[in-house]
Amino acid sequence: MSPRFRSRWTIALLAAAATFALSACVEVRDGGGGEETGPVDGPLEIAVAPKAVGHEFWNTVKAGAECAAGLAEDVTVTWDGVAAETDIEGQVNLIQNFVTSGVDGIVYAATDSAALAPATQSALDAGVPVAMIDSGTDPQPSEVPLYATDNRAGAVEAANLLADALGEGDHEVALIEFQPGSQTNTERAEGFTEGLAAHANLELVAQQPSHSDVNEARRVTEDILTANPELDGIFAANEPSVLGAIQAIESAGKTGEVTVIGWDAAPDEVAALEAGQIHALVVQNPFNMGFLGVQSMIEHLREGTPMASADTGVTFVTAENMASEEVRAVLEPSCDNPPVDQ
Amino acid sequence: MTALERDAGVQGRLGAWVSERVSVAVSEFTAAAALVVLFVALSLASPNFLTADNLFNIGSQTAVIAIIAVAQTMVIITKGIDLSVGSTAALAGVMAAIVVRDLGVSVWTAALVAIAVGAACGLVNGLLVSVVRLPPFIATLGTMSAGRGLVFIVTGAVGVYSLPESFQLLGNGQIGGVPFAIVVTALVALAVGYLLSQSRFGQHVYAMGSNLEAARRAGIAVRRKLTAVYVLAGALVGLGGVIAASRVNSGQPNYGIGLELDAIAAAVIGGASLFGGQGRIAGTLIGAFLIALVRNGSVLLGISIHYQQVIVGLIIWAAVAFDQFRRRRLEARG
Repeated sequence: MSPRFRSRWTIALLAAAATFALSACVEVRDGGGGEETGPVDGPLEIAVAPKAVGHEFWNTVKAGAECAAGLAEDVTVTWDGVAAETDIEGQVNLIQNFVTSGVDGIVYAATDSAALAPATQSALDAGVPVAMIDSGTDPQPSEVPLYATDNRAGAVEAANLLADALGEGDHEVALIEFQPGSQTNTERAEGFTEGLAAHANLELVAQQPSHSDVNEARRVTEDILTANPELDGIFAANEPSVLGAIQAIESAGKTGEVTVIGWDAAPDEVAALEAGQIHALVVQNPFNMGFLGVQSMIEHLREGTPMASADTGVTFVTAENMASEEVRAVLEPSCDNPPVDQ
Repeated sequence: MTALERDAGVQGRLGAWVSERVSVAVSEFTAAAALVVLFVALSLASPNFLTADNLFNIGSQTAVIAIIAVAQTMVIITKGIDLSVGSTAALAGVMAAIVVRDLGVSVWTAALVAIAVGAACGLVNGLLVSVVRLPPFIATLGTMSAGRGLVFIVTGAVGVYSLPESFQLLGNGQIGGVPFAIVVTALVALAVGYLLSQSRFGQHVYAMGSNLEAARRAGIAVRRKLTAVYVLAGALVGLGGVIAASRVNSGQPNYGIGLELDAIAAAVIGGASLFGGQGRIAGTLIGAFLIALVRNGSVLLGISIHYQQVIVGLIIWAAVAFDQFRRRRLEARG
């Protein structure tokens, strides 16, 4: 057998092994009838999954979830997530594994609205209630609530903030989006374009994605600055996009010339806001997402209260208002001073 | 085996070796021609393309991927493949950021830490391939997964932020007006290019890739040398990782997912063969710049990201198909 032929066999075997492993994952647990069980008095285990681990945003969600669990009795939060937002299949498997491991409830953010809909449904079929945070599914079952930011409204406001900052006259602006095809990205991109429509003096000259990678955000921003030397403003639609964009602007020596409206509030974003590299940040309330998701799940499991969707709100943070009490609670959320309405 | 027999073995392979070198040069030439055509087209299509700033930008943007593609090329020449480059680069980058943040060391010390971390990952790959005799695909697949896990463990799955300005020197600094990252890339490419084409070690690398068994019989210490290739490749990937981290002044746990595909694409476009024994650093650099130019040009011309990916895919197909075609013709001629 020639070496080339042998390596083909290796690949074939590998493929067979992968198929086997996948089919083992989709084995469905016998859900014991699949009907809602009554109120649970004993200890509760609630699984909470972000879109991906590794970003400040999701760690704040985690803090909120753990805060809500800590305020209740006998509740543990199991935190697990895929490594990249693009690993949609990995998240499908993760949700299935949660069901298999017998958690009492699942609170998660869908990496893809359509692809995760069956995963939510099969959890419900197995008798495990689900609450969505940040990003829901399509279709979203009526008994599954969504605790999320109104991304569209926030992005419309980002366009307004940019228009206010740039003032009169014609201006060229660019959009750094993150994950084309994801629900959240679509809403922010559409919201921003919608917001721009109200300002005839702003022209969107470039729109490129960062794939939530700071290095890629820096690269596309550098190229956008090169292609559009007259660029006046950038809206960067998530944390990695913002961090890459301000690096690019700084290395091009255009800090202050290009007005940046960012999204979220990672420590380096807040530092850049203080340093004048960012004009304003649209800050979501991830703490509240984790908090509300877990809190309503606990009430649902303990008392049978139906869960109801809620807008977790955004705060517009500028260098001027960042010292205020209310903004501080959002920027530095902690369980001692949670940015939630209790 | 006597020295005479060994020489005879080497002589026997000489003809094949020469024709392989010719075929690599041909695909390199094709890729270079494509690069020139694209360069001229972009100069005409966009008034902003042919500016010093943009060219330096392209150079800096390509630096990391070029260094990692050089590492990948060494491994591919040995008939191996390194799927772990993305995880290794991320691990090296976050470790460098962590030692700067927590121990306050200089950017140079951090770079050494990153290179050591990369070399360690390479050593694991090398031992798995040469001693445990795992296929490179499997060995590095394991390292890719374990490495990414380690990145999340050491960072707690949070980016490493709040680094001093000085950490940016590697990725954003300049030497005599030329971005530092470009200078480092050039030095790395020259050194590895020299090593592969001029040194005895380089000859052995090609020999192992062409026929491992023959190389072993010819008296080459294949275990040690194969391991050395992976360690060296890992060290370069570590260097790439710290430059990437420095460019964004932070350690990013999600950095480099999918990087292995870019690195393999650059090597293959430049004429490296996944069947081993072929590939040159010059070709790989051309491949890396070709991919970078497509991306840069697409943004300058406002072409959507989706088309960029299609274009890169088409280039890979075209490069390898043309390469195969030339090779068959050369073989037919004998």
